[in-house]
Amino acid sequence: MLKAIGLSKNKDPYIAGKEAVHLAYKNIKPLSTKNVKEISIAFVFATAQLSRESLLKGIKEELPNTPVVGCSGAGIISPSGIDLNAVAVLLVSSEKIKFACAQEINLDKKDPRLAGQTLAKNTLRKLGPYPREAFIIFMDGLIKNPSRFISGIKEMLGTSLPIIGGASADDLKFEKTYQFFDNKISSNCAVGVLIGESAVVKFGIRHGWKPLGKSRIVTESSGNLIKTIENKPATSMYDEYFGKDSKKIEAEKIIYLSVRYPLGIYVEGEKEYLLRNAVGVEKDGSIVCQGDVPQGASIKLMMGTKESVLQAAQEAAGALKKSIGIYNKPVEFALVFDSFSRNRLLGRAAKNEVEAIKTSLGEDMPFLGFYTYGEQAPLSALNYRGQSHFHNESVAIIGIGEQ
Amino acid sequence: MILDKIDIGVLVNILGIGAFIAAFCLGIVLLFKTDEGRKLKAYIKQLQKSLDELDEQAKLIVKTDLELNKTQEELDKKISGLYTLQRLSRAISTTLDENQIFTRIEESLVKELGFEKAFALAFDNTKEGLPNLILKMHAGYDEDEAERFCQKLKEKNIMAALIKHGSLFSSLLPEGTNNYKRAEFKQAIEEIKTICGLSSFSGSLISTKDGYYGLIIMGNESALSVLTEGDEEMLGILATQLGQTIENAKLFEETFRSHQELERRVKERTQELSSALSAIQQISKRKSEFVSAVSHELRTPLTSIKGYASILAGGQLGELPKPAKERIEKINRHSNELTELINNLLDISRIESGRVELKIEPQDIRQIIEGISDIFMPHFKEKNIAFSSDIPEKLPGVLADANQIRRVFINLVGNAIKYTPAGGKISISARKDNGSISVSVSDSGCGIPEEDLEKIFDEFYRVSSQDNQTIKGTGLGLSLVKYIVEAHKGKIWASSKAGAGSTFTFSLPAA
Repeated sequence: MLKAIGLSKNKDPYIAGKEAVHLAYKNIKPLSTKNVKEISIAFVFATAQLSRESLLKGIKEELPNTPVVGCSGAGIISPSGIDLNAVAVLLVSSEKIKFACAQEINLDKKDPRLAGQTLAKNTLRKLGPYPREAFIIFMDGLIKNPSRFISGIKEMLGTSLPIIGGASADDLKFEKTYQFFDNKISSNCAVGVLIGESAVVKFGIRHGWKPLGKSRIVTESSGNLIKTIENKPATSMYDEYFGKDSKKIEAEKIIYLSVRYPLGIYVEGEKEYLLRNAVGVEKDGSIVCQGDVPQGASIKLMMGTKESVLQAAQEAAGALKKSIGIYNKPVEFALVFDSFSRNRLLGRAAKNEVEAIKTSLGEDMPFLGFYTYGEQAPLSALNYRGQSHFHNESVAIIGIGEQ
Repeated sequence: MILDKIDIGVLVNILGIGAFIAAFCLGIVLLFKTDEGRKLKAYIKQLQKSLDELDEQAKLIVKTDLELNKTQEELDKKISGLYTLQRLSRAISTTLDENQIFTRIEESLVKELGFEKAFALAFDNTKEGLPNLILKMHAGYDEDEAERFCQKLKEKNIMAALIKHGSLFSSLLPEGTNNYKRAEFKQAIEEIKTICGLSSFSGSLISTKDGYYGLIIMGNESALSVLTEGDEEMLGILATQLGQTIENAKLFEETFRSHQELERRVKERTQELSSALSAIQQISKRKSEFVSAVSHELRTPLTSIKGYASILAGGQLGELPKPAKERIEKINRHSNELTELINNLLDISRIESGRVELKIEPQDIRQIIEGISDIFMPHFKEKNIAFSSDIPEKLPGVLADANQIRRVFINLVGNAIKYTPAGGKISISARKDNGSISVSVSDSGCGIPEEDLEKIFDEFYRVSSQDNQTIKGTGLGLSLVKYIVEAHKGKIWASSKAGAGSTFTFSLPAA
């Protein structure tokens, strides 16, 4: 397997795209004389400012026969650190692994479950008769309920197939995020990559937030909407903790607060609580989350410290180094889906998180990632049989190697 | 049957007792149970209470944490802001071009300072009416957008309110902004927000010593970005830096311009001087040519005059009466003087124009002096002048043309004799002086006034004094001497004290 990363900070998207590919080539070339046609897949992550059609035009001109997938992020994560205005490309060339790519557009106008099924079906068709190992997904981070879409995918691919990915982001304006598929750039879209044939896939997901105070019961919810907690409007939970004399807090402030102090759902058997932060607040005090919150779930307010958050990143990356069952072959590259909220919490120490990941993965392993508006990864507890869930505030890392 | 009856009776009895015992036991159990239940309930209540207490503590923790994070965030922002500010300051201060100063505020630096958008405007008060606003830089906006709101800000005349308020301003309104005086300022802030599409911003006026130059504003579109008081301070520092750099740039511009002007003038003057010099050279050349031509023309008739005069004086054409003879002798003497004058003139013009070829050879000064002292001996005797020469024995020779150097001595010693009264002293001395030999001719004559020392080497210059009225001279001798010495790459100068004699010294390269 050959793999290399290229990163460009050029302000012109077209030039930046070309430059990133050239740099990746430079890194790959000394290792091989293979030519352009044999690059199996190109993962592209760009910040919102560079996410223009010309970016993909530039990249596609350099890689006419290679599937290009990726999305926009609130920042680019690479071994060289964090860039807030850049485009990065990860080129992978493997004879043993098959990458089956597809995209599903106009998600806002479709039934999410059916759309998920269609996306999965298309990748399955492309993969052909090979065993499937994992599904990577890049989807619009501004879609209000991605859970049902993921359910659709699970129904097609089997509930235990790991689904890992990130929700695309913009520069924290929450206006428009982009998904890349070959030479097309879209919003309201999901791009999926089904990985199969002789692949080794390992992953880790952690957040490091700790539960605080007493647990409360979600008394009414539907999908990603928490209507009441302990029979009071959901937002009252934030009012109680943060409001002066429990006075009501404005919706905007709750969204802001929930980034730092999300709600944690207790999941039996899991090491960490499943995090949910508010992306919207309804007039009746309901909280809109990105992931589902089951009715009757026990939730707590969560708090993160720099230390615990950094520790979590180290653990997530460390999971890729463990050998699991028959998969004793090492992974050779990694994709990092890191929540933007972690960057916010860490502030100037954000680069330490990337350092922690780098150290855990080993200095030589190329990895590329972006700051997301949400992460997708499986839960490991037995009860969940490895089913994938939507996460917030977490760092999800997938490592891929050859069997 | 009986057994049956008895059995039934006993059975009933037994059952009755059994039921009683069972009820009793149940009662006791129930009694215990409710007691345990009560205990349990109390226990649960207690647990609930401590949970609530715990939750209250959690609230405290969360609030403290929030406060801490806020402080931390502000600190982080300040630190990274300071770093960026330092880089920005360096970038700005390394240019001295007023327009370049603003282009150095790049979008990436604005982002690092924690802002999405930024722009800078300059006031232009030169026109009448509302002050014109000139867009100096913009980041996060496209050109058209920036120009458009620049125009809108001008129309609203927001600047007046800002200037009235003071140099720092931001969307973090100070307390008491609602009162009447501050209303205008508050409105200006709101206008900027709407016109420039910012949910929060911080800005500062840029002032130079000539007054307000313009302003710089940085802000965020997203309501999620929080503005802190540190931002205001940062903008203030940046604006001060900008103001200073603009001042420096202006100063540099002025200095540069005046320097250029000076250079232009020097060039002009140099050109004037060099053309004047070439004109003078031209004139001087013509003068030499003229003198040379005239001298030649004069010499021919003079030779005939002298010739005829000597024929007449010699009596070849018959003895002349005494008065005629006296006149003829005067003619002869004056003709000689004239010849000498013309010869000197010719020599000067020859040396000046480089037409004389010097035969440079090592010469012994002592020999030359001995040679000339023979010529002057009769004159010394006649005027009773004590002549002495002090030449060190091991004095090296000089590089010179023997004939020319002899003329130098003849002229200098001749002058000395002329100006030294009877009974005076004349001496010649020489010494080694680095790579050259200096020779001095001193007399005990009337001396030369100090103001004339420089001029005596000029052509036809004669010191105006009583003595000079009687002593004859052409005023060319010393000029000729100077030309000869200089043609040998030597120097000549005179020193004198009025009434105490004079000393002429010349230097020649040592052999």
